[in-house]
Amino acid sequence: MTTRVARDRVTGTPFTRGLGIVTIAGIVWLVIFGLFVTPADVNQGETVRIMYAHVPGAWLAYLAFIVTALSSAMYLWRRTRSLTWDRIAGASAEIGVLFMGISLVTGSLWGRLTWGTFWTWDARLTTTAFLFVTYIGYLAVRNLGGTHHQRARRSAVLALLAVLEIPLVHFSVEIWNSLHQEASVAGNTDVTMDGLMLFTLFLGVIVFTLMYVWMLLHRQRALTLEDMLDDTGLDRALAARRTEAGVS
Amino acid sequence: MVVNDDSLGAPSGDAGLDLSPRDVAPSRSRRGQRKWVPIVVLGVVIASAGVIVTQFLTSAIDYYCNVDEIGAKDGCETGRRLRVQGTVDRGSVVDDGTVTAFSITFNDVSLNVRYEGDPGGIFKECIPVVVHGTLQGETFSGDRIEVKHSNEYKADNPDRVENELDSPEGTGCSAPA
Amino acid sequence: MKDAGFIIASYVVTFASIGLFSFAVLRRSRSAARDIRPEDRPWS
Repeated sequence: MTTRVARDRVTGTPFTRGLGIVTIAGIVWLVIFGLFVTPADVNQGETVRIMYAHVPGAWLAYLAFIVTALSSAMYLWRRTRSLTWDRIAGASAEIGVLFMGISLVTGSLWGRLTWGTFWTWDARLTTTAFLFVTYIGYLAVRNLGGTHHQRARRSAVLALLAVLEIPLVHFSVEIWNSLHQEASVAGNTDVTMDGLMLFTLFLGVIVFTLMYVWMLLHRQRALTLEDMLDDTGLDRALAARRTEAGVS
Repeated sequence: MVVNDDSLGAPSGDAGLDLSPRDVAPSRSRRGQRKWVPIVVLGVVIASAGVIVTQFLTSAIDYYCNVDEIGAKDGCETGRRLRVQGTVDRGSVVDDGTVTAFSITFNDVSLNVRYEGDPGGIFKECIPVVVHGTLQGETFSGDRIEVKHSNEYKADNPDRVENELDSPEGTGCSAPA
Repeated sequence: MKDAGFIIASYVVTFASIGLFSFAVLRRSRSAARDIRPEDRPWS
């Protein structure tokens, strides 16, 4: 019995299975390049290797939160209103929080080695922490209860407000004197990065994107199943009472 | 208790159906029973957001003052505790075991720094650092040093070490013109 | 090398947390799917 359930890949399809295999191969490639193949940096030494997990994590967190905002807008717009958009928004926000957390932890380890401190109240770090906490709040608001549409409406409004923090986080290093370095690749026409380092960084972004898509598909489908259970829960309870009362 | 009253909303065909709540939890109440979890999380979130905002507003929004901004810019007054950014001058680092002395420069303005102990991180000559401390006379007395990493990434390749030195003017670190 | 521990820790944290999240999603959906017929899943 349990083995049969286990073999049933509930939220999987041939596409996600193929994507999963490609993603795992990509992770192996990224780890080998990040830890062994790329050179050490003149200033940072080996510490630069943390960047291949830290930067893609931050970028994909931004992307995930933007997807959350776009899906929320699709839900709020009457002509495209569907709970599918709401579930995509919720799934994407969860993955975004995960990636942002990864970015914060790896950044903290990196900071200890290069700056000499795990944490400091610098503009970039502070705004990032605020963004992280905001989306944990978003996830809590999603779970406050009510009907699916009530959940969808209140969280969609929140998602559209929360996404406004992203430009503040991204440009915080340019607005204020910040300990965090400025963007090294994005929005910088004169990229000062070694070729292999740059390649590995982009490889990291691609691998993180594949992971994101895989997790988003599965999580969104899992949320669909949970919503279906909530919907059928009442039906099943009533059916049980009918059987009990002998009503057909 | 048996509800026989159609006005309570039961479909007419369900007359006689027992719709009263029961203590026995239905199989899927798992999520319902944990309703307090999001509320607690939300409370923690709001509290931490408050702490973050307070931290941000009470500490200077600009993380540091550049050396040439001391006494010249708002928030960089000489009497207060400062965080000062500059590039460590070439050949200026003297470490006598308990105190590390060096000078930092930004925009051609230099500042002598005394730091008790061994700076951590990747501290060395010709890199930008942020020193926390107070100005005592002409010397800045630091109690914390952070290395401000530049956004340059170059392979640590022996052939290229010569080209490493393209730091700002006035530090003795500039590459030959 | 003293940095090695930090560097390896950052990779472990990254991929372990992604792995745990994925595992949790698959497990939750598996338990949720017990009461839903496979033909009712919109994607299958």
